Amino acid sequence: MKPAPFTYHAPTTIEQALGLLASEPDARVLAGGQSLVPRMRLRVEKPATIIDINRVVGLDGISVDAGAVTVGALVRQQTLVTHDGVAAVHPLLREAGSYAGFHTTRHRGTVGGSIAFAAPWAELAATTTLLGATITVRSTKAQRTLAAKDFFLGPNQTALAADELVTEVQFPPAPAGTGFGFHEASPRYRDYATAAAAASITIADGVCSSAALVLLRAAPTPLSIDVASMLVGRVVDDAAIEDVVQSLAGLDPPTDIEASGAHRRRLAVTLTRRALADAWVNAQEAVA
Amino acid sequence: MSTIENQLVTVTVNGRTYERAVEPRKALSDFLREDLELTGTHVACEHGFCGVCNILLDGQTVRSCLLFAVQVDGASIETVESLAAPDGTLNALQQAFNDNAGLQCGYCTPGMLMTAKEYLDANPDGGTDDQIREAISGVLCRCTGYQQIVESIRAAASAGKGA
Repeated sequence: MKPAPFTYHAPTTIEQALGLLASEPDARVLAGGQSLVPRMRLRVEKPATIIDINRVVGLDGISVDAGAVTVGALVRQQTLVTHDGVAAVHPLLREAGSYAGFHTTRHRGTVGGSIAFAAPWAELAATTTLLGATITVRSTKAQRTLAAKDFFLGPNQTALAADELVTEVQFPPAPAGTGFGFHEASPRYRDYATAAAAASITIADGVCSSAALVLLRAAPTPLSIDVASMLVGRVVDDAAIEDVVQSLAGLDPPTDIEASGAHRRRLAVTLTRRALADAWVNAQEAVA
Repeated sequence: MSTIENQLVTVTVNGRTYERAVEPRKALSDFLREDLELTGTHVACEHGFCGVCNILLDGQTVRSCLLFAVQVDGASIETVESLAAPDGTLNALQQAFNDNAGLQCGYCTPGMLMTAKEYLDANPDGGTDDQIREAISGVLCRCTGYQQIVESIRAAASAGKGA
């Protein structure tokens, strides 16, 4: 189907873009368009105004500084996953980001767009939550920085106000000796995730000194599981992982046309086992 | 009814520069087919799932149905029409598809060819079958005859030139 008519703006400065966002009552920001345009074609969305930010200068930088990664909102997902400097300090961004669509859609799809769109299957949303990233947003009035855990409110719902634009995502450095794991299940190769698990484990003195686990599609938003309380001070062997798995018994994932909640819970268990096991192996390599 | 004005777009397609006035909601795929009469680019699902409309935008594959024509002002585009010689002689990639039954019904072929061209330009030796399958994983062949398509791409690599 063809999209409904809209008025098109292509600002070249962030101030112009924010001014349009503040003044246009029924506007949508167009970044990569890999999620928005299909919805416009299905006429799920019929914005009166499109603010195309692809020509805005200064939103497409990546910087890696002492282990911290700062990613401009307009950075293409393929640029992020192929960036060797990023992969060297945060391999999870390459690992999980590679599951976002296909390389062809990642050529257009942006990091900021994926986060602002907040699809329940968004791997990049899971990575921001797991890595403790912060998201900077701007309006004509103010700039604020939100923790990822406070940003995602529900499927396609975020703390972003109507006049705000995501400008940047900051990933803090991972502690030395940290390893990551990411596993995803989907009905077809490279299709949207039915469930996914992202894990990180840090090793100090031969045992786990910190750990995190985020599940996708186990809840309406990326779900953080408090695995540190179960794993810190231990070798993360099968017994330790099974303790985590036991704690997932109460998960109540959403049921929809793709999968039942019970099926998603079983997937979450399997993917958690794999993600934690990988994170442990990778952490051992990181300390070696 | 719409009172939205057309916008002027200047774009280079297959080495030739075009200037056209278009409605903002017009997809690049429709612009190529209807306004420039370059009907080699096929459209199928029209919402980004199938990859049949893949073209090269400034050297990278993109879904042309998920771009608006107004967005490509100033850009350089290559479509499937760029592959054959002006006299119609197929290039090595097209010939390999012909020789290895890679076309089948032909509907996904333009998307497969442009995606394979991008892949072979970056991997002239053809890489592994897994790499080829990963490269074309974003293009749906509804004949489901991927084997011949993989063989065609491998044959094009063996012929020494992808595109």
